[in-house]
Amino acid sequence: MTKVQVGDKLIGWSTNEDVRSKGGSGGLVTAVFASALDKGLVDNVIILKKANQFEAVPVITSDVEEVLKSAGSMHMVISNQTKYLRLFENAATIAVAVKPCDMRGIREQQKRNMIDPDKVFTIGLNCGGTMAPHKIRGVVENIYKIDPSQVKGEEIEKGNLIIETLDGEHHTHSIDELEENDQGRRDNCRYCSIKIATNADLACGNWGVVGELAGSGTFVEVMTEKGAKFLQNAIDSGYAQVEPASEKSEGIRSKVNSVMLKMADKTKEQVFAAIEGNKLEDLRKELENCIHCGACKEVCPSCACGPEAKCTLYSDPTDDYDISLYHLIRFLHLSDSCIGCGQCSDVCPADIPLTKLYRRFANPIQDELNYVPGMDDRTPPFFVSKLEELE
Amino acid sequence: MENGVSCESNKKTTVLKDEWQPKIVMFCCNWCSYAGADGAGVSRFQQAPNVRVIRVMCSSRVDAVHIYTAFLEGADGVLITGCHIGDCHYVNGNEKTLVKYKFIKSMMDEMGIEDDRLQLRWISASEGQQFAEFVNEMVDKIKQLGPSPFRRPKVI
Repeated sequence: MTKVQVGDKLIGWSTNEDVRSKGGSGGLVTAVFASALDKGLVDNVIILKKANQFEAVPVITSDVEEVLKSAGSMHMVISNQTKYLRLFENAATIAVAVKPCDMRGIREQQKRNMIDPDKVFTIGLNCGGTMAPHKIRGVVENIYKIDPSQVKGEEIEKGNLIIETLDGEHHTHSIDELEENDQGRRDNCRYCSIKIATNADLACGNWGVVGELAGSGTFVEVMTEKGAKFLQNAIDSGYAQVEPASEKSEGIRSKVNSVMLKMADKTKEQVFAAIEGNKLEDLRKELENCIHCGACKEVCPSCACGPEAKCTLYSDPTDDYDISLYHLIRFLHLSDSCIGCGQCSDVCPADIPLTKLYRRFANPIQDELNYVPGMDDRTPPFFVSKLEELE
Repeated sequence: MENGVSCESNKKTTVLKDEWQPKIVMFCCNWCSYAGADGAGVSRFQQAPNVRVIRVMCSSRVDAVHIYTAFLEGADGVLITGCHIGDCHYVNGNEKTLVKYKFIKSMMDEMGIEDDRLQLRWISASEGQQFAEFVNEMVDKIKQLGPSPFRRPKVI
């Protein structure tokens, strides 16, 4: 048997028939987690427990059986898991499946010494965008005219949102049309530029799995030594099987990715078109409903500060500024490290489109410095001590 | 100033009663620029009275908090001065200022604040004249720009 190496592109699946049929695409992720737990490579695994057709709850477990049972709960939670991982204070080793933006958050925390890279093992999953559960439920009911409990899965393909029902039928609808009415993916996902989690230890997904393996195999790219070790472990302990991916598979995977990115670029241009008129007045209007609850900071995966930070300590609501210092400082501090995960908009009780505002400040400087936060170990530009180091 | 020295710059900086006067906050580093300001005074270089100088130990001590607070409290401009690169009393403080300045500048740009409202300049202890010139130059520029868009109506 060949040894798994960094850079390998493989197609894998679980050897357990039950997991393979139940799992999203062959159950490889479940198999790697279960084997890692079984052989003691990690103490805990965060699995997703299916709550209903559209939602899942993250659960931490060290029981192999429970991990195997979790196969098929493909519906990812929207929330970014970075801040939850911080709660463990590096006391235990944890394996977790992540979206690209989750992983970017984890990397940013690692750079700020908040999460120990040795304590976390991650499997990145391809992500074409996430949808708020309540929205997609409404769309399925009202536009697709399907009973929400009959939905098996959803997929974006060729500009259409495809809903697959339990009876195996595919229902399609143009995603652009849905998103025009704000009924599709979350705003930030529409212009997100990272669709394949190449920053995780293993980058998995169903893009590029064709032929008879379609639907029962997972394309996996080994990104780190650790990833190779975990995948090797899964193969050696009989949990998973792999075969090299064909060039055709690889081609399809990168093609899907580039189509997605083109869509994202188009949206990005639309959303961040130059503001006509007074930019400051525009910002003031957007922020005028802020109640200073601080929730956006609490969930922010790039923010490494505790409750007492520059943005909170120096900002006093009684100052009665039009734009509070809290926002100004956060806009500045995130201009180099905002990953655009959309958490701030999600939690905002005043419905301020915060992600858009953070990206408005982050886009120009990140583009200029060619810095993509959370994708590698490069020092955040704000932390360098010499201007020359930025170039 | 009314009975002051008759020099060219006097005309420009004479305070007229109805003319709008900008408020400018200036951060000077203790080792170079503040001494430069001293030098400007000792050598009697005329300069506009619109600048409020705040002494900091190093230009890198000036944080975004200070700059934004100044603007929010009604400053029309903020000037930061420090030692020339290589002369920093704390080895590389001013280089860190440059990095911070780049980010703040980019953000100010994105907010639609005019470029001249926030400026960084290196002024050494011996450059009293440059200090006075810098102050006069910036006061003139900000006078042309008018009140800061950050300024609230109630701030006097």
